Amino acid sequence: MPSGNNGFDTTEQGSPGMNRRKWLQALGVAGVAGLAGCQGSDSPQDTTTGSTTTDDVGFGEETETEGTTTEAGELPEVGGTYTQAVSSSFDSLNFIYNTESTTNDMITLTLDSAYGFKPGQQMFPRWLELTTDDNRVYTAKLRENLQWSDPYGQLTAEDYVYLIKNVHQTEWAGSAARGDWYIDEEPIPVEKTGKYSFEIQLPEVDPAFPKRPAMWLMKTAPKELLKPYVDEQDAEGLEQDDELNSLSFTGNLGPYKLDSWKRQNKMVFTRNDEYYLREADDVKKAFSKAPYFETVETQIIKEESSRLSALKTGELDEAQIPPNKASNFKQQEDVYLNVTPQPYNVPLFYNQRANGWKPFRKQGVRQALGCAIDKKKFVKGVFRDYAEPEYTWQPKWSPWYDESKVVKYGTGDLYGPEATRSRMEKALSDTEYSYDGDTLVDGNDEQVELTLMYQSSQQTEVATAQFVKQEFAKNAGIKVKLNGVGATKFVRDYWQQQVPDNADSFEWSHGAYNAGPRDKATSKNGWDMARVYGLNTYPMTPTTNEVFFKKDGTYNPYGYYPSFDFASLFSQAKQETDPQKRKEILAEIFGKLSKDQPMGMLALNSDIYGYREGIEGPIEEFFSGWDFSTWHRNDE
Amino acid sequence: MGMRWYVARRLMWTFVVTFIIISITWGLLAAAPDKDIIEAKQKAAQAGQSAEAAEERLNKLRGYDRPLWQRYTDYMVDTFTLNWGWSDSRGQPVTEAILTSLYYTAQYSIPWTILTMVIGASVGLYSAVNQYTKKDHVATFFAFFGMSIPNFWFGIMLLLVFAVQLGWVPVIYNSDVPVFSWANVKQLILPVFVLVTGSIGTYMRVTRNEAAEYLNTDFVKTARAKGADNTRILTRHILRPASVPMSTTFVGSMIALFIGSSYLVEVVFGIPGLGLLTIEAIRSQDTALVIGTSFIGIFASVIGNLLQDIVYTLLDPRIGYGDR
Repeated sequence: MPSGNNGFDTTEQGSPGMNRRKWLQALGVAGVAGLAGCQGSDSPQDTTTGSTTTDDVGFGEETETEGTTTEAGELPEVGGTYTQAVSSSFDSLNFIYNTESTTNDMITLTLDSAYGFKPGQQMFPRWLELTTDDNRVYTAKLRENLQWSDPYGQLTAEDYVYLIKNVHQTEWAGSAARGDWYIDEEPIPVEKTGKYSFEIQLPEVDPAFPKRPAMWLMKTAPKELLKPYVDEQDAEGLEQDDELNSLSFTGNLGPYKLDSWKRQNKMVFTRNDEYYLREADDVKKAFSKAPYFETVETQIIKEESSRLSALKTGELDEAQIPPNKASNFKQQEDVYLNVTPQPYNVPLFYNQRANGWKPFRKQGVRQALGCAIDKKKFVKGVFRDYAEPEYTWQPKWSPWYDESKVVKYGTGDLYGPEATRSRMEKALSDTEYSYDGDTLVDGNDEQVELTLMYQSSQQTEVATAQFVKQEFAKNAGIKVKLNGVGATKFVRDYWQQQVPDNADSFEWSHGAYNAGPRDKATSKNGWDMARVYGLNTYPMTPTTNEVFFKKDGTYNPYGYYPSFDFASLFSQAKQETDPQKRKEILAEIFGKLSKDQPMGMLALNSDIYGYREGIEGPIEEFFSGWDFSTWHRNDE
Repeated sequence: MGMRWYVARRLMWTFVVTFIIISITWGLLAAAPDKDIIEAKQKAAQAGQSAEAAEERLNKLRGYDRPLWQRYTDYMVDTFTLNWGWSDSRGQPVTEAILTSLYYTAQYSIPWTILTMVIGASVGLYSAVNQYTKKDHVATFFAFFGMSIPNFWFGIMLLLVFAVQLGWVPVIYNSDVPVFSWANVKQLILPVFVLVTGSIGTYMRVTRNEAAEYLNTDFVKTARAKGADNTRILTRHILRPASVPMSTTFVGSMIALFIGSSYLVEVVFGIPGLGLLTIEAIRSQDTALVIGTSFIGIFASVIGNLLQDIVYTLLDPRIGYGDR
């Protein structure tokens, strides 16, 4: 099961997808490398199950992928073992505290979530359907055949509401999803309206709510199981509960049951004969016999070469492949590659605070530097073409990407020494900087030298840093000094600002990631450019990106002051319920972002998976895996 | 002063050493930045929430808001009363995590240790009496090859040849097969081979050099004069005195290899053993598990050294405890 499918992905940068993925269900929105587009577009109504429908455009083709039956219309045979490999161990299977995407994949094999999304951003109902009439009050209606394991009986609205109110919306529990259930530090009101229904009353209109992880990825647990811990406010007990950790309460709520878990070695799941979706009449026919494997095994193989060797020898049915190894598998007859685009980007951050290079504050300088890097060459050289050039804060396949509004710095006429230097000269005409031949010099006639912090443990980061160094020297006449650093050290000493004692006197101060105006708050150590973290571009909930582009927002470590009024545009987009109008506003935002170049936007990743020939189900779309329980093996 | 008193004193000293090591380990972990907290702060900030409030919540949940001395005291009491607590990174009790991992480590480390001792000593002794012959050169080459080649890389190469190309052994370690089965032997051949080649060299060379020292001693000459052949001279006359320094080398090198080498080999071959457990515990800053696994290292070092001292007296009765 590719972990890119349901979206909870991340990179701390490096080879795309080969890094440890963080699943950020709990923490709502982003993350250093946030959710892989799993927070939807800003439309709530682009669902097939809602009370309102919409023509909202999803990313990917709006195609029905109902083709799991054979040509004769017969359902595939059940049997065999599906073996997949992951590189990281699992911390705990307790979904209330889990923040890891690979662990979530494992939990999801036994415990579906509220609903999912399939290609075309169409909502796919699992445990419940979510509807709204006004984009503010949402009604969740549960299926009536959802059963916990004995002795907990039926899953009802009471279980949901109890978990939200008594665990997520509390201080003592510290659950991973806590942030999802608060708005402006106030708990979101949730009320049970019937045995199988409950209401979520948002304080204001939010058309994007269904695509936020609060509901979409939300799992729940029996009230009776949680109650003793809630009564005692026993967070430690809740975290260590045996049933939650062994997934023994999951009843018919997922396609598989956890059979065994050998830490740091493997997990074995067996088919759940009573999977609730088999009885559903609102899903494709293939679910009526799902799942199709008797056993699913997840092997933990830390060493990449061992994983790839196991895929070659036929011991695995699925493994993720780094870009530089993909060509080896293209020639392998019994393995096929599946490439799924991801919304994580590869940004080059410019430090516009007082301890960075001051000219970064000029839009013209940033545009000039945008012209200094050949993005197509970068993608080909570093990512072997398994990525896309990034021109704005959305992938090209996003519905919010408007080709006519995006300025493509780093491609065609907007690349090269002439394009770079002419813009740089113009932007720096009122400063001490100037060109001495091909070299950019400062007031002392010395070549401008900028430091580039990069994550030295990641192969693609090293290659990226080298590429930037060469391109800046060739096209901008700037010398780049490379400085390898670990991610934790970078955050602590370079990314976070020191919060001064007089922070109260500042215009704003939001803590370590934007402690104040850029001339007043800086990090412990100076830096000029950084290539350590990647971020999510949120093609499903694009207004989530607002946080990256507000000068007084909670997350602005790089000290960017926008040249356009993005705050007002984002605010309009958030409130706009008309899909077409919202699309126009968002296209304007992302067009202006491409022009303003808040940071160097270099590339957008793809995930590459190798599957054994005969495995049917994967698709080359971001949503690949939405119907994993209908995947099967075709030995013909 | 008798051996019993000596052992009792050494055991008491073990407590002191353990206390110091555990304290240092705990202190280092307490001082290290917590990656989860850093991450939680970033996520909160990116969600438009207060990073500091997120940090505060997590600190409270993990008990970091208590005074340092209280955290230290509680931990030491738990540790020495064998209440090793819960491993956050594995979602199970620490003792269970250690015992499970030891089960897999033992399956390759016991044959590894036995083979290193037997082959290392045998080849070393053989080389000693056949110095500078072709066979000695071959043995020397083998020793230096094993010591020089990185276990990690060697393991990967062997996997590519014997698993991927020839298909003789599996790539994936199967933890379900019975311990005493052909399937288990097949999957452990390569890790044991890699570890033996890595450790045998030192032992072989020390044996060779120590044995060579005794070749011209009076008691060997006397034995030879009495008609003893090479095998008898080596096994009955040279091996015992040479074993004293050999045992020192053995304990030291095996302890050093135990964690470091076994981790690399466990990563390559996917064995869920103690090396992997220890390193992953450190990486994920799972304090309870780090301290628990530290005990294994401490136990191996302190008890190993104690056993070594006792073995000295058995091997060489001239060594006593009077001055210790």
